[in-house]
Amino acid sequence: MLAAAPMPIAILMPAYDEPGRLADTLGGVRAGAAALGGVTLFLVDDGSDPPIDPAVLPSPTPAFRLVLARHALNLGQGAALETARQLALREPAFAAYVTMDADGQHRIEDVAALVQAIEAGADVALGDRFGGDSNVPAARRALIHAARLFERTLTGLRLSDAHNGFRAFSRGALAQVQIRENRMAHATEITRQLSRTRQGERLSLVEIPVSVRYTRETLAKGQRSLGAFAVLRDLFYRYLFEE
Amino acid sequence: MNLAALALLALVFGLLFFDYATMRGRARRMLLVEAVVFTGGAFFIALPDVATRIAHAVGIGRGVDFILYPLVIWLVRESLVNRRRRWEADERLTQLVRAQAMAGARELGPR
Repeated sequence: MLAAAPMPIAILMPAYDEPGRLADTLGGVRAGAAALGGVTLFLVDDGSDPPIDPAVLPSPTPAFRLVLARHALNLGQGAALETARQLALREPAFAAYVTMDADGQHRIEDVAALVQAIEAGADVALGDRFGGDSNVPAARRALIHAARLFERTLTGLRLSDAHNGFRAFSRGALAQVQIRENRMAHATEITRQLSRTRQGERLSLVEIPVSVRYTRETLAKGQRSLGAFAVLRDLFYRYLFEE
Repeated sequence: MNLAALALLALVFGLLFFDYATMRGRARRMLLVEAVVFTGGAFFIALPDVATRIAHAVGIGRGVDFILYPLVIWLVRESLVNRRRRWEADERLTQLVRAQAMAGARELGPR
């Protein structure tokens, strides 16, 4: 049974085979938690082999709660994010829900700006890595721009960035965005859901500059150009088979 | 019978033998169906004139087309149906894994 005392901010973090970087990433979140007014981090181990060892994770503090769940099998980042979403929604409301990667690419320093946008009334705040001081490699930049154009065609949304996993949601918005794509197509799926109107109203979106730090390790594990075909395939199968 | 027909027959019976050797005792009824279908295929490979006569009788030019048209249609359908089953199975597996993960979720205490 999970404790019921909520912190102002929930961070949803999927993790798969991140033995070295995860502890550092969580250490950074814990260090910045007090300045944010408190953080509850929902960490979903997506079938890592070996499993994430709770003993190597930072201990909680009065400003930092850590909730750990584990998928028995590796399902994909989208599936882990959806599990984290459902875990967070079963607790009392947080002021904002932030999705972050486990590999250290996203900085806890940028969370405050995303949360402020939600507190100012936005339903969703999307991190814009091109607006911040990011070291995006040229090949990745080209891939992201292609994804932007694809999503603009698909959704009509004119966004500066695409497939950036650094975002913040209000509770109402998070409750609406159900992720059914297990793998990397979930990013496009989220954008599609954000573009839809419900009862005549569309969720309000803002883009917030964030700085994404790419390293050789994160690039080696991140999305590759060929992954774009897997995204298209997954979207096509859902289009074909979903009732 | 030409060399290509002989090679095809060798392939058909080679596959049948391989499946029998590797699946014997586990899928006897499936192997029986496979043997019947493969023997039918081998019959038309060995005696292509028979397929051609049947094709002409139903207004198709070549015997091989008489075999291929329905085969391609059936294979495309089979591929889609199987893909859909796998997709649905993946969805159910996701729900199962997630339910188990959420039931086992715990807040980490001080260490």
